Amino acid sequence: MDNRAEENEIKLLTAEIERLKNFGCLGVSPSLEGLRDENAKLKYRLNFLQKSLQEERSKTAKSMININSCLQEIFGAAIQAAYPDLENPPLVVTPSQQPKFGDYQCNSAMGITQILLKTKEQKVSPREIAEKISKNIPANECIEKIEIAGPGFINIHLRKDFVSKQLSSLLMNGVQPPAVGKRKKVVVDFSSPNIAKEMHVGHLRSTIIGESMCRLFEFAGYDVLSFGVTKELNHYFIKAWELICDVSRKEFQKIYNCLDITLIERGESFYHEMMKDIVKEFEDKGFVQVDDGRKIVFVPGFPVPLTIMKSDGGYTYDTSDLAALKHRLCEEKADILIYVVDSGQSVHLQTVFAAGQMIGWYDPKVTRVAHAAFGVVLGEDKKKFKTRSGDTVRLIDLLEEGLKRAMDKLRDKERDKVLTAEELKAAQTSVAFGCIKYADLSHNRLNDYVFSFDKMLDDRGNTAAYLLYAFTRIRAIARLANIDEQMLRKAAREEVLILDHEKEWKLGKCILRFPEILQKILDDLLLHTLCDYLYELATTFTEFYDNCYCVEKDRQSGQIVKVNMWRLLLCEATATVMAKGFDILGIKPVQRM
Amino acid sequence: IKNEVDLQVLHLLGPKTEADLEKKPKVRRRLGTGVGGGENYKTEGYVVTPNTMALLKHHLTVTGGQVRTRFPPEPNGILHIGHAKAINFNFGYAKANGGVCFLRYDDTNPEKEEEKYFTAIREMVEWLGYQPYAVTHASDYFDQLYTWALELIRRGQAYVCHQKVEEIKGHNPPPSPWRDRPVEESLLLFEDMRKGKFGEGEATLRMKLVMEDGKMDPVAYRVKFTPHHRTGDKWCIYPTYDYTHCLCDSIEHITHSLCTKEFQARRSSYFWLCNALDVYCPVQWEYGRLNLLYTVVSKRKIIQLVETGAVRDWDDPRLFTLTALRRRGFPPEAINNFCARVGVTVAQATMEPHLLEACAAPRFLGSVLGPSPQKGQHSPPPSPQALEVLVPNFPADESRGFHKVPFQSTVYIEETDFREEVDKGYKRLAPGQPVGLRHAGYVIAIQNVIKVRGSGGHVIELEVTCTKSDVAEKPKAFIHWVSEPLVCEVRLYERLFLHKNPEDPSEVPGGFLSDLNPDSLRVVRSALVDSSVLSARPFDKFQFERLGYFSVDPDSEEGKMVFNRTVTLKEDPGKA
Repeated sequence: MDNRAEENEIKLLTAEIERLKNFGCLGVSPSLEGLRDENAKLKYRLNFLQKSLQEERSKTAKSMININSCLQEIFGAAIQAAYPDLENPPLVVTPSQQPKFGDYQCNSAMGITQILLKTKEQKVSPREIAEKISKNIPANECIEKIEIAGPGFINIHLRKDFVSKQLSSLLMNGVQPPAVGKRKKVVVDFSSPNIAKEMHVGHLRSTIIGESMCRLFEFAGYDVLSFGVTKELNHYFIKAWELICDVSRKEFQKIYNCLDITLIERGESFYHEMMKDIVKEFEDKGFVQVDDGRKIVFVPGFPVPLTIMKSDGGYTYDTSDLAALKHRLCEEKADILIYVVDSGQSVHLQTVFAAGQMIGWYDPKVTRVAHAAFGVVLGEDKKKFKTRSGDTVRLIDLLEEGLKRAMDKLRDKERDKVLTAEELKAAQTSVAFGCIKYADLSHNRLNDYVFSFDKMLDDRGNTAAYLLYAFTRIRAIARLANIDEQMLRKAAREEVLILDHEKEWKLGKCILRFPEILQKILDDLLLHTLCDYLYELATTFTEFYDNCYCVEKDRQSGQIVKVNMWRLLLCEATATVMAKGFDILGIKPVQRM
Repeated sequence: IKNEVDLQVLHLLGPKTEADLEKKPKVRRRLGTGVGGGENYKTEGYVVTPNTMALLKHHLTVTGGQVRTRFPPEPNGILHIGHAKAINFNFGYAKANGGVCFLRYDDTNPEKEEEKYFTAIREMVEWLGYQPYAVTHASDYFDQLYTWALELIRRGQAYVCHQKVEEIKGHNPPPSPWRDRPVEESLLLFEDMRKGKFGEGEATLRMKLVMEDGKMDPVAYRVKFTPHHRTGDKWCIYPTYDYTHCLCDSIEHITHSLCTKEFQARRSSYFWLCNALDVYCPVQWEYGRLNLLYTVVSKRKIIQLVETGAVRDWDDPRLFTLTALRRRGFPPEAINNFCARVGVTVAQATMEPHLLEACAAPRFLGSVLGPSPQKGQHSPPPSPQALEVLVPNFPADESRGFHKVPFQSTVYIEETDFREEVDKGYKRLAPGQPVGLRHAGYVIAIQNVIKVRGSGGHVIELEVTCTKSDVAEKPKAFIHWVSEPLVCEVRLYERLFLHKNPEDPSEVPGGFLSDLNPDSLRVVRSALVDSSVLSARPFDKFQFERLGYFSVDPDSEEGKMVFNRTVTLKEDPGKA
């Protein structure tokens, strides 16, 4: 009995000591506890509001998020916080090439090591820098985790739910351009056929590239004006001339219709009145020198001067190009001016641009004036594209040849037995013109390119034929599962896109790279990046489709057993992005082919 | 002996939970024949909408007609015997019907969850002998639940409300003035809730429905600025039980949503929500809640008991948490058995703890001297050399083996097995009354009683003669004994509370903490035990002859074993 009493005593005392250890004796404890909780909650809320703010900023309205630039922003902030003294530290974020390196990589640490060594004579290992950057990453909604690998690569893993949410929003809102802020005006200059002659293959590149450029900027939310400047012979015997021009214009329109090109045609005569003023303006500002009767203008940095008036008082291309430049800058008030003109005119255009800056028409920091140069079209013999007889190939003949070849190809594949007459015709046009455009656009415009019907009509590899076929196949998946558009739309709203399979994940990320691809093209005006991307998307889709059942069917009866809706949604998202890509490239896909 | 036989029989029959359930055609009929076969609509009270048939058809393609149940504990505390019933019922029913059972953590409330509860729950389910078909979390479905919340708003069935918690508590709270606000407005405000623009309690999402008990518009989502154990800092709005439960059942294509009776008032809201969203609707069945007497099971109260030192910890063997029952030595079969006996009747099953105790069927091992102030006993050696005696492991069934027990010239017996005066009815050792040593084959008779010098004169030693039982006169009784024993600690338990319903203020006005039984734990620090138990591990079970069932406590250390008495062998342990 005594024993037990003692034991109880010991128990009570032990409990009392425990209480004291936990500051049970201090009267403030309950309210302190309460304040701590309150504080934790406030911190949580603050963090949450910051995240929401970021979310709202990054997707004003329904625009697609450019994940790459999002990450750049995050890492920019992290680097800024980690090394506030560095000016313009290198900010490099790229998609990772292999899954083991995460989804994206930030490779800034190496560069910062160099800078610290050079400017501050500090020796810090890139790994250490990478760690410091990692510790300073702000709250965000897209990063799941980061790892530091190798010498100092920061591997970024995206949050599954983030990617999934972006895909859902893509499905609900359609493909939306990345947010660009205030609407800006772009003027694209392209295709300069000589109005007295027929359009030939030399005009092809300018027309195709220029048209695509316009479509891209339009999609990105710019006001786009496209001008086809028609070169006129350097004189104006008005009446007869106009007659010739009318005939030509009708022919041009035929071709433009084929290639689905829309532009305002403005002949050089439009600028005739303006040219007088241009000469006067240069004279007034004291830039004009007279050389052997000609009025010339020297532009700093360019050895060859511009001739703004010939000794006979006539104007030159230099004059008309200056007039056009001024008109676009000062009358049209363009924010961006793009000249889609062959590389041969590079020096000429650069001189004109420099003259425009010199005279004060624009400031390159505010207004962007760019020459999107391109190489020439070569025949399969790698020589200048000519007919067998050595004549220049007429564009209209080329297009007709394309149509014929496309039809041969479709018949070869016995598509004529499957498709209705209208479908076959639509497929033919789509393939023929799509392939001609795509073959051009898929090559880096700076290089010369070899025109080959055989290559462009090949349905394997990076060709329009392959992509068009892949596209119709993807669109057919849901249709064959009896899932209509309305059901897909409902599912997009309600279903969470699961990205657990490695190939689903890969495809999901690939789809969402679209905005960053577009951003890159808006920056460097190299459209082949979009073709490369679409090709990558199509092959990534094939990988996904080969590995993940979208619709499960009974082997015997062929009856549909199960529809994996989230995968159909991935198909739909792929198709939506491809369709937008085609639209920008000026290619028209068909329902069946 | 009678008790021993009963227990043996129980043991031999083994766990009979599932078999029991199968043998109850009544129960099966009650649960509806068509459920699981896609004929939910045949159940009384099931709501049929134009989409029901299509949804059931799809449901069948998912389940293949298999029964699906789930055990959905909140991971905010340790499981107790009431949960065991839910586990037993859900897993047992699925198993008996060739179905599957999910273990789904109902982790919708971020404030209460801790990692340790997740593992402890899983451990207990497995300890009870069940394997979940899948382990899921309500939080796995947060994205889907959120999407559905948006849909519910779009369908005009939910709205954002700003009434304070106090305003909507109690009887007849005023209806929400925000009930009829435009859908678009609710969508925007709900988005604001998700983004953290509202403080806690400033906005909730409510469903437009009246429950059985008259409660209006239960809350579906509320704001909580608390990180979640599994979703981290992804959310600051969390779904409620009312909103989550049936939808998780629907997502997992549960056929029978089994729950305790108090959820009957939520049955119509269960059906309502599934139908409001046009998703598959399981059938809800209620069963009686298990109430135990002489104990408390609520988390908060157990915390108080632990904090005041009334019990040692959550698994103190006097409690009825599952870890406590395990520690006390109840085998899982006994728990299952108990649950099966209590059945699934809708009436409240109130149990006295000894009924659970009666289900224990532990292993049976040879004789041991139990917890008694020991009494040294010198006897002339039974033979010139020390002996070893073979003792059957299970006296009732010698085919189950024997173990060796030393039999030296000194043996120890229970203090109560010796008296200096013989009175009527006392048959054990006394001067002039020899007694048999069980299993030893010897009879001892008193020669000399040695006492402590002075005052009280406690007996400390007895000198006895020892005669082989085949030559001695048959003794009136046999007693247990040990020789060369181990010293160990034995913990003896009684019920923790004095009154049947310690939480009932009319029965215990001073509150449950005032009702503690001072004798609920008795520790015998130097009991003697047969050395053959030396290699035993925690939770190993023994019967100590004539004393009861014991289990090795995890507190045991090298050289110092600790035993818990699971139950005594007495006729009615409740009266012990």
